[in-house]
Amino acid sequence: MTGVKGMLGAVVTAPLVALARVLEVPLRLWQRLTGQGGMVAFFLLPNMAIFTLFVLLPLVINIAYSMTTGAALFLPERTYVGAAQYERLLRCTDYTNLMTCQEDQFWIALRNTGTFVVLQVTLLIVAATITALILNRALRALSFWRAVFFFPVLLSPVVVGLIWRWILDRNGVLNAALVGMGMDPVNWLLERNYAFSAAIGVTIWAHLGFFALILLAGLQAIPRDLYEAAEMDGTKPARVFWRITLPLLMPNMLVVIVLALIRAVQVFDEAYVLTGGGPGTATLFLTQYIYEVGFASLLKNPGLAAAASILMGGVLIVLTLLQLALGKRNERKGRLK
Amino acid sequence: MGRIQLHDIRKSFGAVDVLKGIDLTINEGELVVFVGPSGCGKSTLLRMIAGLDKPSSGRIEIDGVDVTPRSAADRGLAMVFQSYALYPHMTVRANMAFGLQNTNMPKPEIDARISEAARMLEIEPLLDRRPGQLSGGQRQRVAIGRAIVRRPTAFLLDEPLSNLDAELRVSMRAELSALHDRLGATMIHVTHDQVEAMTMADRIVVLRAGKVEQVDTPLNLFNRPANLFVAGFIGAPGMNLWAGQAKDGAVQLDSGARLPLPSGVTVPEGSVTLGIRPQHLRPMAGGPVRAEVRLIEALGPESVVHGDMGAGGTLLAVLAGQPDLARGTVIELGYDPQMAHVFGADGQRLA
Amino acid sequence: MSRALAFLTRRKGGDAWDWTDVFTFLWLGSAVFIMFGPALWLVLSSFKSPAQLAEFPPTLLPYEAQTVVVEGFDRPLPLFSVTDEAGTRTLAEVRRVGTVAQMVDPENPGEVQRVNIANRTPVREVGFSWGNYLDPFLRFDFLNYTKNSIFVTGVATLITLLTNSMAAFALSKYEFRGRGFVVVLIIATLMIPLSVILVPLYSIVSGVGLINSLWGVILPTVATPTGVFLLRQYMLTIPDELLEAARMDHASEWQIYWRIVLPLTAPALAVLAIFSVVWRWNDFLWPLIVLSRQEVYTLQVGLNAYAGELNVQWHYLLAMTVITMIPVVLVFIFLQRFITAGIAGTGLK
Ligand SMILES: Nc1ncnc2c1ncn2[C@@H]1O[C@H](COP(=O)(O)OP(=O)(O)O)[C@@H](O)[C@H]1O
Ligand SMILES: [Mg+2]
Repeated sequence: MTGVKGMLGAVVTAPLVALARVLEVPLRLWQRLTGQGGMVAFFLLPNMAIFTLFVLLPLVINIAYSMTTGAALFLPERTYVGAAQYERLLRCTDYTNLMTCQEDQFWIALRNTGTFVVLQVTLLIVAATITALILNRALRALSFWRAVFFFPVLLSPVVVGLIWRWILDRNGVLNAALVGMGMDPVNWLLERNYAFSAAIGVTIWAHLGFFALILLAGLQAIPRDLYEAAEMDGTKPARVFWRITLPLLMPNMLVVIVLALIRAVQVFDEAYVLTGGGPGTATLFLTQYIYEVGFASLLKNPGLAAAASILMGGVLIVLTLLQLALGKRNERKGRLK
Repeated sequence: MGRIQLHDIRKSFGAVDVLKGIDLTINEGELVVFVGPSGCGKSTLLRMIAGLDKPSSGRIEIDGVDVTPRSAADRGLAMVFQSYALYPHMTVRANMAFGLQNTNMPKPEIDARISEAARMLEIEPLLDRRPGQLSGGQRQRVAIGRAIVRRPTAFLLDEPLSNLDAELRVSMRAELSALHDRLGATMIHVTHDQVEAMTMADRIVVLRAGKVEQVDTPLNLFNRPANLFVAGFIGAPGMNLWAGQAKDGAVQLDSGARLPLPSGVTVPEGSVTLGIRPQHLRPMAGGPVRAEVRLIEALGPESVVHGDMGAGGTLLAVLAGQPDLARGTVIELGYDPQMAHVFGADGQRLA
Repeated sequence: MSRALAFLTRRKGGDAWDWTDVFTFLWLGSAVFIMFGPALWLVLSSFKSPAQLAEFPPTLLPYEAQTVVVEGFDRPLPLFSVTDEAGTRTLAEVRRVGTVAQMVDPENPGEVQRVNIANRTPVREVGFSWGNYLDPFLRFDFLNYTKNSIFVTGVATLITLLTNSMAAFALSKYEFRGRGFVVVLIIATLMIPLSVILVPLYSIVSGVGLINSLWGVILPTVATPTGVFLLRQYMLTIPDELLEAARMDHASEWQIYWRIVLPLTAPALAVLAIFSVVWRWNDFLWPLIVLSRQEVYTLQVGLNAYAGELNVQWHYLLAMTVITMIPVVLVFIFLQRFITAGIAGTGLK
């Protein structure tokens, strides 16, 4: 165990150490010439340059991008159209019928994503809470059980998608089990509702362990003597859950809910590999819509994709602010105590 | 080598003036102790000498050279930090070698210096351990060792003993003094403990609220404190300080007592404070100092008596042996007027 | 419901064995099955031959049809167990015409028997189709994909550790104008996902000429605010006196960074390194967009492309999925403690 860690460490650090040694002499010179300010600049520069170029700049020009049209890639070569892309995204002749919308695909993706977020987050949170509560009972071999739930978290979305595509295949093992029990096989990935449910189930399978772990950390931080005090008072166990466990778990619970929401809004990889958005548009989600409009379809429209991504970003910003606000409130509550 | 001069050093953090004009000369080979209550600016002053902070104004000279603009590394000083600041991921040996390697010293020379310092400090068996595996006293020695191997022009020590337990502190105090004699290098030692200051220093610098109150040898500070603050700060237990009106060679207290002033000095009439060390009071029937006994701390060879003199005046007296006193009784004490200190209304020494 | 809650909130198993204890065992029992089962099934399936994969219902273990070398025939012949009027015996198939197979007894190869294929079953034993693993490397581009993935993962992780720790050092240990602004900027962008800046990011990467280059995959991922944030929080706990001691020891600022601060940040660096390896190995959407030429595909993109072909060759696909999974499973097995501690402590994923 330590051997492996040591080896891993050495593999990672050896080139860094060599580099650091080589840089010692020129940097001492640089420090003599420019003082501490020059060194601060030196430490910040690589990261900030990459950060500016690949995070900040895209953020800023995305807005400009969403107001242009055409196939040209670079902003200066694109034609300014004002809010036309947003109008195209949002215009419908009859809002009760998505088929009348100009970008009906966007609306379908929006509806699918909305449904997905509500169902997946609810089920995920319930399952994660139950799992955390069970793991928090003084179990033997806790680390084994934690591993059981956590194991899929590190798997790549592509691997997750393929594993389940194989299991849910028309001739897959799940149908074999159904037939073995005397039932009819089901075309899991080719029927709308089944495919949608599969997307929900598979993403829960992949992320359950992560959220259960955060909740478990919260549960373990609740002092045991609180439970003992409640027991001394003869408090009914149900009451203990609602009045002690849940309120004290709330900070972690809120983090978990908002994180789960943020992730669910961006759902893409697993679902895309699993169903490719199908059958038809049954599992077409927002990120896939942006990807296809921006990069994959024959009629690429990067401006439209940028506009859609900004709308999605707006939702995410609201969620993030919500999380920050909730975090602040909890902090204040914590200080009052 | 090792003469340090400070000229009108001032330091402000934002709007707060922490040091308010410090002038000081520290001679070669001297062990100077900065003493003063917590927060008075001792560490700030030391860090300024070290070069870790820059003064807002003023000049620092080492051996006559203005080093104010120089970085910490280029002043040739070594510092021992209160938390020791040993590099936790390096062995004791590596901790001591680090600074020498950075100056490209040849390896045999580094090894020689480390083994010499280790022998001197008796930490040879610890050389291959890490700081985390050492006791507080051992870490202290390593921190000093790390300073010694540098052969600095002066050592700066910021409360180096304050993290040790009482017993260890006493023995380390003696060791540090011995070390100073042996190395003969200039040392500036910071502490808030006046006993430490008295026992170690060649000269003591008493600081209060960013100002130097007095600089002198320990005994001179004890015998002739320049002002009320120094009088109260130096000596344990603290000096009795009684406010009253000077008249006709005596001080009239609010309680009515008349206490004689030293002869041979002229004290103008008016408000003064009379200071008498508890050790200088002795039992004397009909003596001028009368107090009701409140508490007796019998230490064996001597007893500390706390008393109430009336009108808010309190008394502290250290009496030899184990006098037979009961709480509530009234004792009468006298003193040699030549041992009394007199301070004017501005707090400065009159006699 | 309330009984279930009652049970769940209890800290220790009670004396009596009630139905709620059963719930725990059911939950945990099915968890083992549901969580591990799919991956196990993937591994078992990946060793099956194409014919076996097409079978329904599938067998649990991979089998291999037995063959026998018969005198007079150049290639090994498949063995069958035949049961008909003439009794049960083991024969080797020479060729098949419609529903009738021409078969020989390996002991007596001269005499050809005609057998209805309904009367025979192949003789087989547990066996692994290693070809599923070898062929993709030998005949397809998977070796290349794997190399690309390793390159992206290794280089991105090294650059991440280096640049993020340098920035975190500057932002935690020096006072300078604009520091607060930079810190706020980094925290503000913590939650911004790739999918929001996909289009402009693509135009920038294209502008610097990195489309279809592995560097185009690497660079946008290495300046993650997450890493800087995590390391900075950790470095703030390192006492400044250590740095000052080093300064008095003639250390340059660069030496202070890599000889004092970096070693002391090792635990946080380890967490970041592990996560960076997993993140970069698993990255999908961004490589999918940047890489459109086969020779620069990473494993994830290659796998997806392969799975998207009209005629999915599942036997190769499953084997390559296992290959893709292996590094992450190894990381998981050996570093689980680090990872769970990292997540519980930082909410990182
Ligand atoms: N970096 C700083 N910023 C603001 N105030 C400081 C700083 N360092 C010290 N101070 C203030 O300066 C005063 C003197 O501190 P210090 O020199 O550490 O006192 P001490 O005599 O106990 O060593 C204290 O009031 C402290 O709050
Ligand atoms: Mg101090």
